[in-house]
Amino acid sequence: MKNRLKVLRAERDWSQQDLADRVGVSRQSVNAIETGKYDPSLPLAFTFADIFEMPIEEIFLRE
Amino acid sequence: MSASAESENPPRPWIWATLFVTNMALIAAADIFDVIEQPVPLILIMLNMCLLAPMIAAARQRQEQIGAMSPALRIYNNRALACMFIYMVAMIAGGNLYHVVGEGSPLLWPIAIVPVLPLLGMIWTMYRYYQDEQDEFLRHRAVTGALVGLVLVLVTGTVWGFFEMYGLVPHIWNWWVFPVWAIGLGLTTCLKQRDGSAE
Repeated sequence: MKNRLKVLRAERDWSQQDLADRVGVSRQSVNAIETGKYDPSLPLAFTFADIFEMPIEEIFLRE
Repeated sequence: MSASAESENPPRPWIWATLFVTNMALIAAADIFDVIEQPVPLILIMLNMCLLAPMIAAARQRQEQIGAMSPALRIYNNRALACMFIYMVAMIAGGNLYHVVGEGSPLLWPIAIVPVLPLLGMIWTMYRYYQDEQDEFLRHRAVTGALVGLVLVLVTGTVWGFFEMYGLVPHIWNWWVFPVWAIGLGLTTCLKQRDGSAE
């Protein structure tokens, strides 16, 4: 699954650690999700959507 | 420790892990091929277990540095260290007491049971970690490691069992399953750590 986390982070000038703190996960988790090495669960994807105030499908995209 | 000092001298848990695994392999080979006799291998294993303390300390520092730490993982590390310390003390005491009480003594029962308790504690510690970890990537990493450890135990046990049945290799004590499983878990955790390392 593709995602736009890196772009969305850059637009807000957030580091991975900043995003991790907001979501409540480790920086490693953010990195693994951002680089497509780990697909988040639906509840975690909703949390990302809440943080960015966007619908899930605008953050996580099909391959 | 300052950031520059950390980057100049980062913790290297894999050095301790490599040393631990290499020593274990050499001790096992020396014991299997009768180069050394009991209780020498047991004492060497106990001494080698001491390497786990700096390895875990370095791993903890590294996990903090690369942002792979969680509250559940901190608790797990503390519990695991406590279990390992008790295990080492029990093994060293047991190894010495075994030769004092002699073969066939009923006192061998408590000597055998005492080192089992911290190992059961380790298994409980892992179970609690899987239950308590809220970070799903870290939990996924731990579960994957446990499965790889299980595969390593199944493959090693099956291959060794058939070799042993035909007298090609000597019999070994069954408690080998725990360190072999732990090696599988540790190696996978190190490899999966790379998935979330670089920004």
